[in-house]
Amino acid sequence: MKVFGVYLPQKELLCEFSADFIKGKTGIWSYIAALGVILGAIGILSIFLLGHGETTNTSSYVPWGLQISTYVYFALVSGGCIFTNFIGTRFFYDHYKPLASRIIFMGLITAIAGFASLASELGHVERMYMFIISPNPTSPMFWMSVWYTADIAILIVEYICIQSNIHSKRVLYASFIIPVITYCSLGSLFGAVGTIPYFYSSLLPVYFIFTGFLTGNALCALIAAMYARKRGNNEIIASFISMQKIGLAIVLILTLSRIIIGLTGNANGYEVFKETLPQNILFGVIAALVIPYIILAKNITKNSLLISSLIVLFTQFMARLDLVVEGFRMPNFQVYDMPARTSYTPSIYELLVVVFSVSIVAIIYIVCEKTGLFETAGIKGGE
Amino acid sequence: MEQSADRDILEIMQKDLAKALNKPRDKRRWAMAIDLKKCIGCHACTTGCMSENLTPPEIHYRPVKEEEIGEYPNTSLRFLPRPCMQCDAPTCTPVCPVKATYKRDDGIVTIDYKKCIGCRYCLVACPYGARSADVGHYYTGEMHGKSYEVENSGEYGGNFKRKNHWRSPIGNARKCHFCLHRIEKGELTRCTTTCLGSATYFGDISDPDALITKVISKPNVIKYREDLGTKPRVYYIL
Repeated sequence: MKVFGVYLPQKELLCEFSADFIKGKTGIWSYIAALGVILGAIGILSIFLLGHGETTNTSSYVPWGLQISTYVYFALVSGGCIFTNFIGTRFFYDHYKPLASRIIFMGLITAIAGFASLASELGHVERMYMFIISPNPTSPMFWMSVWYTADIAILIVEYICIQSNIHSKRVLYASFIIPVITYCSLGSLFGAVGTIPYFYSSLLPVYFIFTGFLTGNALCALIAAMYARKRGNNEIIASFISMQKIGLAIVLILTLSRIIIGLTGNANGYEVFKETLPQNILFGVIAALVIPYIILAKNITKNSLLISSLIVLFTQFMARLDLVVEGFRMPNFQVYDMPARTSYTPSIYELLVVVFSVSIVAIIYIVCEKTGLFETAGIKGGE
Repeated sequence: MEQSADRDILEIMQKDLAKALNKPRDKRRWAMAIDLKKCIGCHACTTGCMSENLTPPEIHYRPVKEEEIGEYPNTSLRFLPRPCMQCDAPTCTPVCPVKATYKRDDGIVTIDYKKCIGCRYCLVACPYGARSADVGHYYTGEMHGKSYEVENSGEYGGNFKRKNHWRSPIGNARKCHFCLHRIEKGELTRCTTTCLGSATYFGDISDPDALITKVISKPNVIKYREDLGTKPRVYYIL
């Protein structure tokens, strides 16, 4: 089935998948993902029906919490998928080709899943049309929305090109350059905030691009490892291991640079870097970057890639939460019963938003994979 | 100031206000000055502001910070009231993606509740912590507020009831606006009128004869965190 040049799962295969799903033959992950979507949808619905005051733990002291960090995480994963697609297409196309439509598709659905998380955080999401009728070009958030829209649009174009077996260098380069600008804008959204030293840095846009590459690439590596396990095609694994090692090394340098600047700088508010040093070193550096690198350096196998990718995906999620929340650790104006150091624990509803975002990506991917969408694409287009 | 020492400063400021309101809006420059020596830390300004603007829990447009200075036995208390600084170079307005918050030509930084999408970027950008997010809490801790909590506050024309979380101002950013609704009616800001020690001055600093203009022309006047380049319009008299 093809709509506006985009292949959709065939009706018969979808019906077959539905029948198998009811019979319990589609595998444990499809049921976990479906359950996650239902629970997550209940969580998001509760936020809209009951209001943020009753459901979320963000406040005037910690205005951005788990929903924003989840948005940032998924947005960066999406960017990482696009960067991986660019590198794969440019440098090892023959091995990469069977994965291209899967990876761009992942880039697309992670961008949309991230937006779902963002939408549930806004106080008045129904006023999003204000971005069109009352834009503010001085706001990094406005530019982020512009480039994010462009990013999704170019992803759709690239996806159609891949599905239709059209090799357009212009689209490929556009689908690389636009995400670079998009995730720079996202980085500058945080980096431009001079009032919060934990955010304020011209390093942040660069940091976002490379952490995005690392995280998105880890998701692509997961897909590649599963694909290789299923098809017995091992040639692709080495390329993904190399990419992940490069990503880990660059993010390690950037993370350490951020920490060192924070520790040696004496701006008001830089104390946060000192206070969070043990957790940053233990979780942000050793667990998130060094251990995956060692795993990959010791074994060049599908399983080691699988394990390291899972570690990267999880630890980078925690790193995004840390980046967003720790920025508010020191209040700008401490008064009344406001603690000297603010703390934040996400509510069950906020956790359900994460469950929704993860599950919606998983279920859509599983359905498309099981109904042979990624196989149909390219082959038919090439005929 | 010396000439009018025998007159009530509220009366003087009231006359200054009336005079300023006769000028076109873009010719006025509203500002506030707080005499820290006179502030006794009674929090009357805070409570007055809360009742005027019906602010929910955790939202204080004008909190008063208390600091203990020195070591026993040589200690004293210092009070620092903090309204919105109505900066001339605000950090909150440029970051708003939809121009919901902006600086009026009379110098007051306001929020258009009907435009605000509740992204809270302005909260993050304000170096004074002068902005808050109205997430829909009530003092009773219940899901729906009591009648006195949901009535019109008078803010921005008085059309905003905190009735439910679908309606502004719930979901919006909120901040001190120098009681815009009061000054447009010719009334002084609530914090100015409730100040027990007459520590708060308000008026149009473009008027050379206004009391506030004279007060801020002394050498012992500073601005809070002026180093940030925000050019605050709130002056502190030491």
